Amino acid sequence: MIKSRPIYTPFQIDPAGRTHLVATDLAKLPDHIATPEIETWTVETIAPGIAAPAGGMTRAFRSVPDLLSHLSHRLSREAAGFRLYALGKEAFLWDIMNIARAAGLGSGEVFLTQLGSLKRRVYCTHCKTMVEDVATNIVTCPGCGAHLFVRDHFSRRLAAFMGVMVDAEVPGEVPPVEEVYAAWHE
Amino acid sequence: MARIKNIIALSPTIKRIIFEPADGNLFPPAAAGAHVIVSIPGPTRVWKNAYSLVSKPGKRAQYEIIVRRVTHSRGGSAWLHDHAEIGQMIDLSLPANLFPIDWLAGKHLLLSAGIGVTPFLAYLAALKDVGAAFELHHACKLSEAPAFEALLRPSPHITLHTSRNTLNVTELLARQKLNTHLYVCGPASFMDTVTEAATRAGWPSAKLHTESFGGATGGAPFKARLARAGITINVGPEESLLEALEAAGINAPCLCRGGACGECELPVLGGIPDHHDHFLSDAKRAANNAIMACVSRAKTPELILDL
Repeated sequence: MIKSRPIYTPFQIDPAGRTHLVATDLAKLPDHIATPEIETWTVETIAPGIAAPAGGMTRAFRSVPDLLSHLSHRLSREAAGFRLYALGKEAFLWDIMNIARAAGLGSGEVFLTQLGSLKRRVYCTHCKTMVEDVATNIVTCPGCGAHLFVRDHFSRRLAAFMGVMVDAEVPGEVPPVEEVYAAWHE
Repeated sequence: MARIKNIIALSPTIKRIIFEPADGNLFPPAAAGAHVIVSIPGPTRVWKNAYSLVSKPGKRAQYEIIVRRVTHSRGGSAWLHDHAEIGQMIDLSLPANLFPIDWLAGKHLLLSAGIGVTPFLAYLAALKDVGAAFELHHACKLSEAPAFEALLRPSPHITLHTSRNTLNVTELLARQKLNTHLYVCGPASFMDTVTEAATRAGWPSAKLHTESFGGATGGAPFKARLARAGITINVGPEESLLEALEAAGINAPCLCRGGACGECELPVLGGIPDHHDHFLSDAKRAANNAIMACVSRAKTPELILDL
């Protein structure tokens, strides 16, 4: 692990906050950390493109982009004392953080917990294409066709890992592709 | 070195003092919130007091401070009121800023009381310059209201409060949007009231900016034994440990002289400090192995310092 990698904390509600919003890219939070008494945004569909109905304090969205698109509007109406919690894949955590920062939230107001898949979002440093859900050490860029080595270098601003051409020295000399980022993680 | 260029009485207890560089050059630029340490040449000793710069940030031809005569002055503010004269040479430190504006804020909420408004006079110039959103609430005694009214020129964004009833801090804090930063400066009781209300409202510490003032107060005299130097100095009832060290010719580090910056921390090898600073954590305070020389004193007759 390289030093610049973000470190995440276990999920817990900050008692100093007055209002709280929990957001996850999962359909539901694992039972042992679920917070039924706190407003929770999830990503859950009952059919393609159709979000699951709301239940209790939980509101489901049809996709991660759908959830994210509602967040900045919601934050613009919140008052000081608000706390935001993101739980999910690393890329999702930083998508949330970037929206939160733009709304004026900062240190002590946003809490990130990595949960679920360890698959990576990869940024092609050659053509700027984002590749979602990469499970392997090397991935072919769908934008420019480069064989990208997935580095451990994570950009918080881009919410993605850096992908650099693995066979730049000797074209075609690509190491074996291995699945390394797929495990469920809690 | 600086020369006193002008002294303007704003009220019977408040004076504006304007300095210009003694050598005809320019002062270093200072941002909003910066302070300078003024060496005040008293008859028996030199007082070193920190004052916020109230001149327009970046202005280099002159520095301005505002001095309120403290009722129980140890001498510094009284000397500036009674003996400072135009043309006098005064030693000023380089400016330091422990209370800068956080420019990432979407709005700046400024709360001050009494002479604590001084850093905000520089803030207002800087905020207005760039068109930043702000709201200032200033609390003061009725008798001083005319002076502060003249300084602040109340507007829809600037409110003067002469009664505790009109400034509802809890309500004010609760209706701020997420991108508001809070800045507080005033006497200890005002700071406590506001920071407690902010904590109750869930205000994160990263958005709460404070600057207290008042500096050292006197207390029981004590001895400070400097273990490495092998000498013992006496700290009198009217001087601070830092001042006693300076009087003994020891060049101790310092920056704010008000217990806020942490610059003057000294390791304590023996004795129990009487902490008056705002810097040390509760754990560090309880460990009794460090002291802020500028404001803290001793609970024991002697302190042993690693100096």
